[in-house]
Amino acid sequence: MNKNASRFLAGPYIIWMIGFTVIPLIMIILYCLTDGDGAFTLANVAAIATPEHRKALFLSLGLSLVSTLICLVMAYPLALILRKRNVGQGSFIVFIFILPMWMNFLLRTMAWQTLLEKNGVINGILSALHLPNLAIINTPWAIILGMVYNFLPFMVLPIYNVLIKIDDDVINAAQDLGASTAQTITKILIPLSLPGIISGINMVFVPALTTFVISNLLGGSKILLIGNVIEQEFTKGSNWHLGSGLSLVLMFFILVSMALMAKYDKEGEGTAF
Amino acid sequence: MNDSKLKRFFQDFYLVFVLIFLYAPILTMMVLSFNSSKSRTDWGGFTLDWYRQMFQSSSIMDALYNTLLIAFISALAATILGTVAAIGINQMKRLPRSIAMGVNNIPMLNSEIVTGISLMLAFLAFGISLGFKTILLSHITFCVPYVILSVMPKLKQTSRYTYEAAMDLGAGPVEAFFKVVLPDIMPGVLSGFLLAFTMSLDDFIITHFTRGAGINTLSTLIYSEVRRGIKPSMYALSTIIFLTVLALLLITNFSPEKSPASGEKEKAGRSRRETARRILLVAASFCVIAAVSFTTYSHYAAARSNELYVYNWGEYIDETVIEDFEKETGIHVIYDLFETNEEMYPVIEAGGVAYDAVCPSDYMIQKMIENDLLAEINFDNIPNISQIDPEYMERSRSFDPENRYSVPYTWGTVGILYNDKLVEKLGAEPPDSWMDLWDEKFSGEILMQDSVRDAFMCALKGLGYSLNSTDPDELNQAKDLLIRQKPLIQAYVIDQVRDKMLGGEAAVGVIYSGEMLYLQELAEGKDFNLEYVIPKEGTNLWIDSWVIPKNAKNKENAEKWIDFLCRPDIAKRNFEYITYATPNRGAFEMLDEELQQNKAVFPDWDSLTNAEVYRYLGDEADSIYNELWKEVKSN
Repeated sequence: MNKNASRFLAGPYIIWMIGFTVIPLIMIILYCLTDGDGAFTLANVAAIATPEHRKALFLSLGLSLVSTLICLVMAYPLALILRKRNVGQGSFIVFIFILPMWMNFLLRTMAWQTLLEKNGVINGILSALHLPNLAIINTPWAIILGMVYNFLPFMVLPIYNVLIKIDDDVINAAQDLGASTAQTITKILIPLSLPGIISGINMVFVPALTTFVISNLLGGSKILLIGNVIEQEFTKGSNWHLGSGLSLVLMFFILVSMALMAKYDKEGEGTAF
Repeated sequence: MNDSKLKRFFQDFYLVFVLIFLYAPILTMMVLSFNSSKSRTDWGGFTLDWYRQMFQSSSIMDALYNTLLIAFISALAATILGTVAAIGINQMKRLPRSIAMGVNNIPMLNSEIVTGISLMLAFLAFGISLGFKTILLSHITFCVPYVILSVMPKLKQTSRYTYEAAMDLGAGPVEAFFKVVLPDIMPGVLSGFLLAFTMSLDDFIITHFTRGAGINTLSTLIYSEVRRGIKPSMYALSTIIFLTVLALLLITNFSPEKSPASGEKEKAGRSRRETARRILLVAASFCVIAAVSFTTYSHYAAARSNELYVYNWGEYIDETVIEDFEKETGIHVIYDLFETNEEMYPVIEAGGVAYDAVCPSDYMIQKMIENDLLAEINFDNIPNISQIDPEYMERSRSFDPENRYSVPYTWGTVGILYNDKLVEKLGAEPPDSWMDLWDEKFSGEILMQDSVRDAFMCALKGLGYSLNSTDPDELNQAKDLLIRQKPLIQAYVIDQVRDKMLGGEAAVGVIYSGEMLYLQELAEGKDFNLEYVIPKEGTNLWIDSWVIPKNAKNKENAEKWIDFLCRPDIAKRNFEYITYATPNRGAFEMLDEELQQNKAVFPDWDSLTNAEVYRYLGDEADSIYNELWKEVKSN
């Protein structure tokens, strides 16, 4: 009985989402399927096939995949270490990773410019040590760095939140039964923390795929990502119809990745509970 | 033993590495907030001036209040809505659950700009005027998914039977929820609230599209400052916010009552108590902030009776001029900023906000006139128009043929700025032609303007064509030229050209003449000079003028405003602050002779024979330009 009742707790939220997400989205779809004169057209979606749009899309997919991967590789050991070190101090760790976000992200990304520039801080230190200079500013590498920097906390936090929930006894039991550290991680911790990993991947991949500020600030505006194209259609090009079409294409790609994730999530649930 | 020591060392090393990675940019910004030089790349000595200026600047303070208030209310609303919804969704059957989760993911999977635009379209379609409340609604909308995503994993980990067990043992549903379910998912709820708060605090794009006149959050304020360089008082503010949060964190984590834990249960109980205490503390401090913000906000909201909505470029006025105007006329000015003409236009066209006075550039004024967006100015109300040099009124005729819609505010040229030492080092001659920007010797040392018209201007002029060309053949040649130039370019920039040239990052850059005074002043005492040259092929002569949109509600106030800005003493003060050349004869005559003779700022008319003013080329030509530019950028 209570199950039925509590299901309706989602009611207000559903109404909210219909009003502020679904209806605005329908507006975008309307824009996508019409041209400037209001006639029906599919040209705005087909526009993704033009060389410059295709290139921007593939570049965005590539860069965001790479940075998601880097985030995962960086975040998992980090979450493991944090779990080991800080029993009972959970929110402290949360704070350490959320704290940087209290400085505006436009400012923080600008600060990376200062650090990475040809005569910037990092190269100043490297020169002083007689090491070769770093020349990644205005290249895709700088964009990857910016993505990893901005989105790493979104990977660490969900993984950490799941890891601290795992009982120490489970790990001890595994080790008592003869599992090595590597086996404990691959057979116990990773399967148990899969929900965290998946929500982490979602939280990094999606903003990375759609960013345009990072590529503008760290790529010297020389590198056009799909986010930049859409942004320019809306703000500079004033072609909202084309912008809507391209963003629907983008949504399709994200939906595909979400579907993949959902599949793994289901299997993860099966072993986790 | 040794092995685990080594392991521990690696772990420590890794932690420190990540912390440096996360905090290096923040440290950089803190250092810059004490830098007496305004440049990002230059250390000019220690100062606390920026902190003083920050507290005095009402625009920064207002933006801070708005940001905190919006972040607090939207995070709170999103947390309640999201937590309750997560529980509901968790109880749903498979199909409705995946539908609900799918809808939940929409704001996250959509690019922020689309969420922003779609909300804006919906608000406008349903006749909700843009302002504080629309920002708030949008923020709640994009915050909820983050709350649900942090609560969901927690809910999945809690056993579904504990709640039922509590009910079996006689607890009511509400009691069972607060005693059993909530403590279990509390870490998720808390991190959801924090995430929502920080996301709202950090958001720029969605706010940008859903805000109305006179409302700025820190992000939108910073963005509007980007054009002319970020004022270090912004770094100062960020430093203070950062340190406050840090202090709060230290207080809540290292307060005395920490007894050594004995046994799992006590530990769990203690951490639960601590969590509760922490929530209280955080909530209390935010309540204080919210209360303060709200009173201030309502104060500002109430102070409007006789008002004027102004829409201007970032850093394009001396703020004390606004204060003086308010004092003299008793008109309350709501001052708003834009970064590019292209960004300003749709705002005026959509009419979501009725501005009274706007300051666009030449070709955009022409477009606005042609699309019937401007009101004729009643020049009887602007006696100071006589102060504007007739030469500029004449030039204005190219975009405002009968001088009925616009009053010139600033003007200037576009040219090449070069670093004499670097040019010499590269073995090149000082540039005097646009084609020098295609010189292989400058490979990796060129800064181009990141705007369609300016980039094509360089190429078209270099090829000897008009910068208003619409000939497809000429445009294609220009496009090919720009593609050829791309490997040589260090970056496409707007405002950053100034900082980068000052820091010796590049040898040549395309720049607006108005930046020159500032640059020459700062380059003094460096081992190089920065010289400005107008290429021999001619250049773009631009004029920014005040206009009054057709839907203005306070037209007479706008005319008073324009008249005030035409007063010679006011125009002089503005010129000294923004350093873009003034068309005001009275102001010009008051300047030092040295300044009057500065050819970079006030070039001779004779040297501008090939200069042209941008014209609006029509929607069709506009989209051709945009298509070609996209090809250049994606190549």
